[in-house]
Amino acid sequence: MELELGLALPNNHLMKGLDLNDGSTTNSYRKRGFEEAFEEVIPKATLPLFVHKNGGDGDDENDSPQLKNSPELNSISGNRALVGWPPVKHPRRRSAGGGAEERWSEHCGSNSDDGGGGRRAKCVKVKMEGVAIGRKVDLSLHDSYEELFHTLNQMFPNMQHGFAHHPHHHRRRFMVTYEDGEGDWLLVGDMPWEDFIRSVKRLKILS
Amino acid sequence: MTYFPEEVVERIFDFLATHRDRNAVSTVCKTWYRVERLSRRSVFVGNCYAVRPERVVARYPRLRSLTVKGKPHFADFNLVPHDWGGFALPWIEAAARGCPGLEELRLKRMIVFDESLELLARSFPNFKVLVLISCEGFSTDGLAAIATYCRVLRELDLQENEMEDRGPQWLSCFPDSCTSLVSLNFACLKGEVNAVSLERLVARCPNLRTLRLNRAVSVDTLSKILARAPHLVDLGTGSFTIDHRAEAYHKLINNFIKCKSLRSLSGFWDATPRCLPAVYPICGNLTGLNLSYAPAIQGADLIKLIRQCSKLQRLWVLDCIGDKGLAVVANTCKELQELRVFPSDVYGEGIAAVTEEGLVAVSSGCPKLISLLYFCHQMTNAALITVAKNCPQFTRFRLCILDPGKPDPVTNQPLDEGFGAIVQSCKDLRRLSLSGHLTDQVFLYIGMYAERLEMLSIAFAGDSDKGMVYVLNGCKNLRKLEIRDSPFGDAALLEDVGKYETMRSLWMSSCDVTLGGCKTLAAKMPRLNVEVINEMDESDELEENPSDLHRVEKMYVYRTVAGPRNDAPDFVWTL
Repeated sequence: MELELGLALPNNHLMKGLDLNDGSTTNSYRKRGFEEAFEEVIPKATLPLFVHKNGGDGDDENDSPQLKNSPELNSISGNRALVGWPPVKHPRRRSAGGGAEERWSEHCGSNSDDGGGGRRAKCVKVKMEGVAIGRKVDLSLHDSYEELFHTLNQMFPNMQHGFAHHPHHHRRRFMVTYEDGEGDWLLVGDMPWEDFIRSVKRLKILS
Repeated sequence: MTYFPEEVVERIFDFLATHRDRNAVSTVCKTWYRVERLSRRSVFVGNCYAVRPERVVARYPRLRSLTVKGKPHFADFNLVPHDWGGFALPWIEAAARGCPGLEELRLKRMIVFDESLELLARSFPNFKVLVLISCEGFSTDGLAAIATYCRVLRELDLQENEMEDRGPQWLSCFPDSCTSLVSLNFACLKGEVNAVSLERLVARCPNLRTLRLNRAVSVDTLSKILARAPHLVDLGTGSFTIDHRAEAYHKLINNFIKCKSLRSLSGFWDATPRCLPAVYPICGNLTGLNLSYAPAIQGADLIKLIRQCSKLQRLWVLDCIGDKGLAVVANTCKELQELRVFPSDVYGEGIAAVTEEGLVAVSSGCPKLISLLYFCHQMTNAALITVAKNCPQFTRFRLCILDPGKPDPVTNQPLDEGFGAIVQSCKDLRRLSLSGHLTDQVFLYIGMYAERLEMLSIAFAGDSDKGMVYVLNGCKNLRKLEIRDSPFGDAALLEDVGKYETMRSLWMSSCDVTLGGCKTLAAKMPRLNVEVINEMDESDELEENPSDLHRVEKMYVYRTVAGPRNDAPDFVWTL
């Protein structure tokens, strides 16, 4: 099954009624509940959920589903990771006063060096076995494995059971692995988060 | 008219001020074409890939001034990969071969290497003006070459470039014989400059009118420079940190007082409110003021400063000016033509700095306001309708509500009616940027009313293809359309493919356009370059032939007579 993905983090082409947490039905420009706490982006027009021609599981590469829009919810990082928004030129970002400098998010694909102040983005590629196109995730926006798995859950939403950072979670269908600085592939979750952040180069999700 | 001698025709053409007019007369007949091309002094190339440099140079051998633009506008917001393209070198090489009389070069959003600057410096003995805006790829070494070899340099203007700093020596490369500088702007340079070299340079250039220093220049140096160059008209201060009790401070005030010609001020990095009185003596003369890099100047201090600037025509501030501060602007700055309010706190978690109130105040108090860039946390339809009534003369209206897709907070409605009022009222509107929650309705209004609109920026707006179609069908003068994160797909893209040949370019990212749609467009319109930008690297298992149903993440379409470009990186597919 092919996902139509882009490098931009999930945008706000959200389907109404997609989020089960959303109790309201009409004229709901803002999602409620969980999303509201993170000031999520407003859902847009009703575009069809992805429709499988063959209704397969995630491993079919021969399908060509009418996937108009991936039903992605915004990641936990929400607006903070919205690429290129607000539309302000780069030099201005670095001089913005107060806490703004820390909270600006670097574009994951950008090569520009963010001089002195400001948090550096740590973007790594995420590839899922059986999916043609990889994604990118900004690890610096996450503080723990839980948050990371939450984001991955939302990036690859067709995974029925999602990921769990519980080594004994028997229903877990997918393993998240990463490549470290030395080129070895290891299981995510075994070491302290800070060490992981430092050494991870990219992620791969295996079933 | 062909019985006029060509010299007379040429004189008549001299009166044509705009590029458009000159382009138009060149199409009348062969004689006029020839006269026009041989007498053309200035050429503007809005898209460097629309035409080959060799062609431009061959057609206009007597060119003196060349302006070229590279990357699409959204590159400013990191939506375009850095190595997408837009190289200056081919243009400089072609000009070096074909237009040795070149005197002025202006480049925007292009990649300029040091080697290119060196070639430039050595190739044109009469070179006078270099302006680089939002460019990258060069360092201070390139500037050193310019300083060294351009004997009659008048203007070196560097605006918001990403350039590498390799040391302060470049400024010392201006020879002692260089006395011709009129304008020097190195505000975007990150590193130090040699203060003594700078002072000497300023001292020996009696015609210097514009000087914009960078953050590394101390107030001490600034003071000395002002003493040497009281005839400055446009000043960008360096870092404006001084101990207001020190003797240096009093010297600075005295030196400012002598600058009777000063009309424009910018810089003010690290400025603290206590230093502001130093500029009070000249505030009354200012027509331009840029405080957008001075977050420490807020509230009462900012208001006090602005109260003295009654002649301001152009004001750039941070949103910490607040609605109250904007009310003061409205009361004081009756000559105001351009206002830009930049965000200081992006996420709206702090104090809501400016809202619709500030904008309404300015619109009612400043009758000459024609250009606006306004970042705010919220906007209402009522406010926009009021603004539209107060200021029907807007030519540029760019509104950015920081929370994407946010509706009118009072009515919870989309902002269709507000923006609709703007386009209906402002008949001369040439540039518009939208934000907030918007449905297809706003595009219906834009298509209906925005007849003079040339550039439209859309983000997180619209419901369906109809929105984009309204715009394409309605805006006759549309030249640039840039769209991100909006639900427009193939049907809209392909509705009127001929339209794109009347425009400079179309950018769509994170929309619903598919690869198949792009291919169809490319097949139907051979004189368009349809570029699909796919940022992947080789380690990903990229499909050999991605399905046509794949959504395209970034697409850039532009008209061209140059055919597909040959310098595109791997991740850019020209279909």
